Amino acid sequence: MSASVLVPSVVSPVVVSLYVPAIFTGIIVGLIGLLAISYQKNDLSALILTDIVGIGMLILVAAVGTDLAESLILPGLVVELAEIMAISEILMSREMRKQGEKMGEPGKKVDLIPLPMSLDMEILTTAPAFMAIILIAYGAFLSGFTGGAIAGGGILFYVISKKIRGVPSGMWEGVAGVSGVAWCLWLVGFIIFFAFPDLWLLALFLAAFGIFIKVAFKAGLVGVMGREEFKKE
Amino acid sequence: MFDPYIWFYTGVALVILGSLGTVFGPGVKDPIVRTLNTEIPAVGVSLIFLTYNHTIAILTYIAATAIITLILLRAIVRLEEMGAEL
Repeated sequence: MSASVLVPSVVSPVVVSLYVPAIFTGIIVGLIGLLAISYQKNDLSALILTDIVGIGMLILVAAVGTDLAESLILPGLVVELAEIMAISEILMSREMRKQGEKMGEPGKKVDLIPLPMSLDMEILTTAPAFMAIILIAYGAFLSGFTGGAIAGGGILFYVISKKIRGVPSGMWEGVAGVSGVAWCLWLVGFIIFFAFPDLWLLALFLAAFGIFIKVAFKAGLVGVMGREEFKKE
Repeated sequence: MFDPYIWFYTGVALVILGSLGTVFGPGVKDPIVRTLNTEIPAVGVSLIFLTYNHTIAILTYIAATAIITLILLRAIVRLEEMGAEL
């Protein structure tokens, strides 16, 4: 294969032989999604179709087939998630404003997390703290990206179960601040890796726990999103 | 025994057919049907990740898909309760 000049010998031949079909699949799926979005009149349908374009992007990245691809897929997923969250919020607040203009008053109020059932169960008043502590402790033990995801799941579980009694809205300012500080820890860890390679253990722990706190407090996004609603109540 | 090509091309077929189904499929005027249709390309992408041994990527992708479906369903239900034309 003429492309073998560019491919390092450590890449397995299976990955090399699958590269072209994978790239074509990614491009075809991306084109299908983008064309559908351009013909779409409905904003909500366009939002759902961004998911398809995201899938095409993921296949393109995955086609590289090495650890590099894996490390690029993770931020791609997080960005896609944040993007869909933000656009859905924009759609909803625009609809609220439209209704307010129509009737001269704020539109009909609906739940922050609409569920077809009542969430007022006994287990939700006793279990959340226990479950959240276990998940956060296990996440801190794992550290890194995976631990952050587990601890974030614990925080999210706590917030959603406490929702019926209201979460202190001032808390989210602090969460966002800590998240920023953790991001700085991660950056400092990276700089130490390059500037003082002798201190690699310190750098490793700074980076691991920085990304742990950062990912865990991604749940803060949900809180900041809900703050507007809680203030109105 | 374990042939990666089977998994890869099954994933490719699922991704392309599923995305066509999301775009043109029956009943996609209903946003809930459209959201559920996006699960088919999601399974296809998971098979492609499986071929490449992207373990962490597949785990994160499953979690992210679940959260994205939740967000989209929440947006649909809230917009419908507000009385927006969908």
